[in-house]
Amino acid sequence: MLAEETHRHDHAEPETQQEVLLRVSGLKTQFRQDGRTVTAVDGVSFDVRRGETLAIVGESGSGKSVTAMSILRLIPSPPGEIVDGEVLFDGKDMLGLSDEEIRKMRGSEIAMIFQEPMTSMNPVLTIGRQLSEPIQVHRGGDRKSLLAKCVDLLRKVRIPDPENRVKAYPHQLSGGMRQRAMIAMGLGCDPRLIIADEPTTALDVTVQAQILELLKDLTRERGTSMILITHDLGVVARYADRINVMYAGRIVEQGSSGDIFKHPKHPYTLGLMSSIPRLDQPSGTRLTPITGQPPDLSNLPSGCPFHPRCRFAEDRCRAERPPLTQVSDQHWKACWIDVNKP
Amino acid sequence: MSTNHNDVLLDVQDLKVHFKLHGGLFGQKQTGTVKAVDGVSFQVRRGETLGLVGESGCGKSTTGLGVLRMVEPTAGKVTLDGIDITALNSAALRKARRRMQMVYQDPFGALDPRMRVLDIIGEPLLIHKMFKDKKDYKAQVHDLLERVGLNPNMADRYPHQFSGGQRQRIGIARALAARPELIICDEPVSALDVSIQAQVINLLEDIQEEFGLTYLFIAHDLAVVRHICDRIMVMYLGHVVEVTDRDALYENPQHPYTQALMSAIPIPDPEEEAKRGFDRSLQGEVPSPLNPPSGCPFHPRCRFAHDACKTQKPRLMETDTGHQVACHLYDPAASDINAGDVMEDNLVRAG
Repeated sequence: MLAEETHRHDHAEPETQQEVLLRVSGLKTQFRQDGRTVTAVDGVSFDVRRGETLAIVGESGSGKSVTAMSILRLIPSPPGEIVDGEVLFDGKDMLGLSDEEIRKMRGSEIAMIFQEPMTSMNPVLTIGRQLSEPIQVHRGGDRKSLLAKCVDLLRKVRIPDPENRVKAYPHQLSGGMRQRAMIAMGLGCDPRLIIADEPTTALDVTVQAQILELLKDLTRERGTSMILITHDLGVVARYADRINVMYAGRIVEQGSSGDIFKHPKHPYTLGLMSSIPRLDQPSGTRLTPITGQPPDLSNLPSGCPFHPRCRFAEDRCRAERPPLTQVSDQHWKACWIDVNKP
Repeated sequence: MSTNHNDVLLDVQDLKVHFKLHGGLFGQKQTGTVKAVDGVSFQVRRGETLGLVGESGCGKSTTGLGVLRMVEPTAGKVTLDGIDITALNSAALRKARRRMQMVYQDPFGALDPRMRVLDIIGEPLLIHKMFKDKKDYKAQVHDLLERVGLNPNMADRYPHQFSGGQRQRIGIARALAARPELIICDEPVSALDVSIQAQVINLLEDIQEEFGLTYLFIAHDLAVVRHICDRIMVMYLGHVVEVTDRDALYENPQHPYTQALMSAIPIPDPEEEAKRGFDRSLQGEVPSPLNPPSGCPFHPRCRFAHDACKTQKPRLMETDTGHQVACHLYDPAASDINAGDVMEDNLVRAG
């Protein structure tokens, strides 16, 4: 794919070079259902550098969660299948690993934090047991040292009274506390990459802020990289260094947080920005929504999948799919149109 | 329709909704009481939108349900256009409910999956006998579909054939069918994708203007609430902590809880975010309403809490014209520290 080829060259720049921890190239994940094939992720390429937080932004069905699950090979197969692409973690080919090897990576090198801690935890095991399991599997240790480590982890995620909370069951903790315990589970083996999939969507705003601040502190402290998957542009602005905007299984815009928010180049990104009410803008201004509905992935429009909802669309957009092309140094877009042209 | 803003449409006085909890072998023993709404008073003027915000468990949805008597209030009085709703018998209540409708959060759960859209939207017409014949019934539903931006020939479809945003439009059309004066919107956009939220918000604004509607708008998203509401009421653990005009609330939030809530919301602009910093003072979570704190319900999380806050419940009192706050900091009678400290503290944090 042409776009990805040019993308690679981007990283040769010496000033901006930062060591790449994860490189995803041309990732394509499909699901087969009732004889139909749905391409949930369609040729996605991006890097995650050491110590940075990369946000993947998109609406339901954009492929942001499937991208994350594909990296860890957590796609249920069947019906899902990673049909193309490469995922390199610290140079290691994740898609080529044996089941045994990938199990060793999960939880120890790459940890995942899910949206709903109640359903992602085992209700019949204590918090301590669930915390210690991955550590025992990946790092070993006796009962006493594991318990000490668990208490220590709970203290790190600022759960009060950790000595007693290790003995609690998930239902005995509040939503915010459960999410903290999930983060503690993710951090247990000192992973180098955390994938957080809508980690605070189910929580109240004041708790959301506490949890995200905690994740920020912990990743900064340890130099951990993070992929933050969210639909909340405010959260992205506060916590992300770089951003991938996804639509219909593809990255439509990629750039630094400043690029994306200050100089959005894709009509979809622009549309998102103008459709949300903001606290820092005058009240009572009318919102400009994106018209139409999100596309049906099993029956995508021709050319650019966004064209039926795009106010800039031209003939070319209906016929040809735009590749991801460079706008400036670190900024890429998949669009034929120059949205800044008067 | 004229919108005289001094004309009170809905008047709620000291509304209480308490739920009794039962335990024991056969559930016969009362083990506790959840005071979901505990003495809430407010007024909504004709044609205005009153926002009701707060975190989960604050009683905002229960307040909405209590107003409609979809849960029976434990105490208090609800008056709609001079009619005492709380005193009506069930036949009279049904008649009165024509004038107040509800739009729900979950567009998937709120529509009967076995009913055609025609009948979902038409049901209120049927209940209140608001059509002449079959032809008129269909024509009214088609008008409503068109009004909410859906194609009238979709009337014979079932809910599962629509997307989330379209279902919310169906829910709005159903609420409009009985030609109500008041619509209670309970988190009407929070289940929708960002690009669809704005469509629904604009639709709600348009129909409000067209039909002269009054809204009670319940939501947790302060940015959305600020956008659509004229006045805003902030709730915490069944109590009103602050009520004021939209702009006053955002420019000059007075209750420590409102201040913390504002600072917790990220602004979608990295430069603004970097400038703004973040107030880390609000710790912990909303306590269980089963066992609420004594005195001011916010005191265990409040950094200004002093002795009076632990024992005395603060009353809602006016600090500026139209600005009411329930906090001892603003009550000269109860306070041993004063509001000046909060102001000063805010300046320190901002600077």
